[in-house]
Amino acid sequence: MIVLKNVTKVFEQNQNNQVIALDNINLQFNEGELIILKGVSGSGKSTILSLIAALSKPTSGEVIVDSKRISKLPDNFASIYRRDNIGFIFQKYNLIPTLSVKDNIALPQIPSNPDEQELQKSLSNVMKRFKISHKKDTIVKNLSGGEQQRVAIARAHINNPKIIIADEPTANLDEKLSLHFIDMLKELKNSNKTIIVATHDPLFFNLDFVDRFVEIHNGKIN
Amino acid sequence: MLLSPEVLSLFILNLIFLFFGMIAFLLSIKIFLKWDINSTTNIQYTLEKQSFLTATIIKYIFMIKLPLFLYFIFTLDKISSLLTGAMCAAGVVDATSYGTYLLVIKVINLYLFGFWLTLHYSDIKDENLPYTKLKFGLFIIIFFIFIFEIILESIMFSSIDISKMVDCCGTLYSSTSSSYISNIFLIDSKIILSLFYTNYFAIVVFYIFKKKFLFTLANLSFIIISIISLISFFGTYIYELPTHHCPFCFLQKDYYYVGYMIYSLLFIGTFNGLVVGFMGKTNYVDYKLSLLFNSLYVIIVSIYPVIYFLKNGVWL
Repeated sequence: MIVLKNVTKVFEQNQNNQVIALDNINLQFNEGELIILKGVSGSGKSTILSLIAALSKPTSGEVIVDSKRISKLPDNFASIYRRDNIGFIFQKYNLIPTLSVKDNIALPQIPSNPDEQELQKSLSNVMKRFKISHKKDTIVKNLSGGEQQRVAIARAHINNPKIIIADEPTANLDEKLSLHFIDMLKELKNSNKTIIVATHDPLFFNLDFVDRFVEIHNGKIN
Repeated sequence: MLLSPEVLSLFILNLIFLFFGMIAFLLSIKIFLKWDINSTTNIQYTLEKQSFLTATIIKYIFMIKLPLFLYFIFTLDKISSLLTGAMCAAGVVDATSYGTYLLVIKVINLYLFGFWLTLHYSDIKDENLPYTKLKFGLFIIIFFIFIFEIILESIMFSSIDISKMVDCCGTLYSSTSSSYISNIFLIDSKIILSLFYTNYFAIVVFYIFKKKFLFTLANLSFIIISIISLISFFGTYIYELPTHHCPFCFLQKDYYYVGYMIYSLLFIGTFNGLVVGFMGKTNYVDYKLSLLFNSLYVIIVSIYPVIYFLKNGVWL
């Protein structure tokens, strides 16, 4: 379970120019839920994701994941938490263009120094699952947008995280590929993971398999 | 005022330490007074960021200060050639009335810096940062002693008069000297050696039975007994001169700088021994390191009399 308790996040460029990204919000996400965070650009969706992923700390309030106060974690522990619990899918995929599909997907495993055989096994499983096995040795920059998105999802999945976070995952995709991503999202939901998607893409707003929609406006929950 | 390149570099380093130490000191006071790990306020989150910065500053100051002690001794040794009468660092220490106090403060600070670093590493190993308040509180105290050391060091180097003749170590560390150290030479070597080896044996026994407070106490007494036995007995075998008791000469090239190794072994061994008792959680690595380095120290200092006896067939 993910709990955001009285969370405020203020970005300070200087004392006279403060941006209140989140304003004392309270939110709770249950295990296995698929949640869509919707709202216009700058409403605070991505800030919520970065707090849940322990990429940043709130200005005040706390973020609790499975009874662990992750907003209080020192940086070195936050990295371990991220590695073990979070899978990221970014708007621009954030893949390393000069590496192959296989190497990109394997990246999150490197800090854990896995056994080579186990790594190959999990790589093979995850590539099969997201239908990218046939391109495993292709350099990522030579893939289409949809294929790159599949690699990004496979990479988010390789560590078998409990939480998958997607920040504007279809912003760079056409409608056909976006619908394909939605199909993969449905499949991911069946694996009982907590999935949080921040988007303003209307394609997501009428999905019947989504558990909850949370609308954010000016750093507050509507 | 004596301004050799070595002294000048120590002055510059002290100024840098003073500047960064002052920043760390001011932030430490704030952290010490307002730290509450359970709080989720803006102040606490700001303190958490500042504590990381402050601890990093302190860590680097102390990590540099530890080996810098050896450089300080090296500097004393180097400038001894500028003072009439001085044969080694002992003459420089004795050249002003501040030298001995500075040396004592520096040794105390070595242990304090080491403790702070140990506390810091124990703190950041735990996600709840259990020692943060304590470590910044300790730094506030250490900072005053640290400032005192810097002031004393500056005064000492400033007040050395190179036109004045100083005593050499042969005079300072002889049984006829009027100093309090000369009393050490009146103690029978057999008593000193019995105390030394019994103390080491006690360390081994307390290590086997993991009696941490007794182990620490034994290490504490080992610091004193080791230095006394080194000056009064083992040193004479390093020099192969029964009347030479200087604790500095064996830091020189003539003796292959063996003093640096001897003092480093003693410091690392006893420091880890003290950490065993002072830290809340028992860390077996500290136990092992303490025994290892103390044992190496005992072996190194003991080997000199043995070699001398094997070579000459007599004791000094």
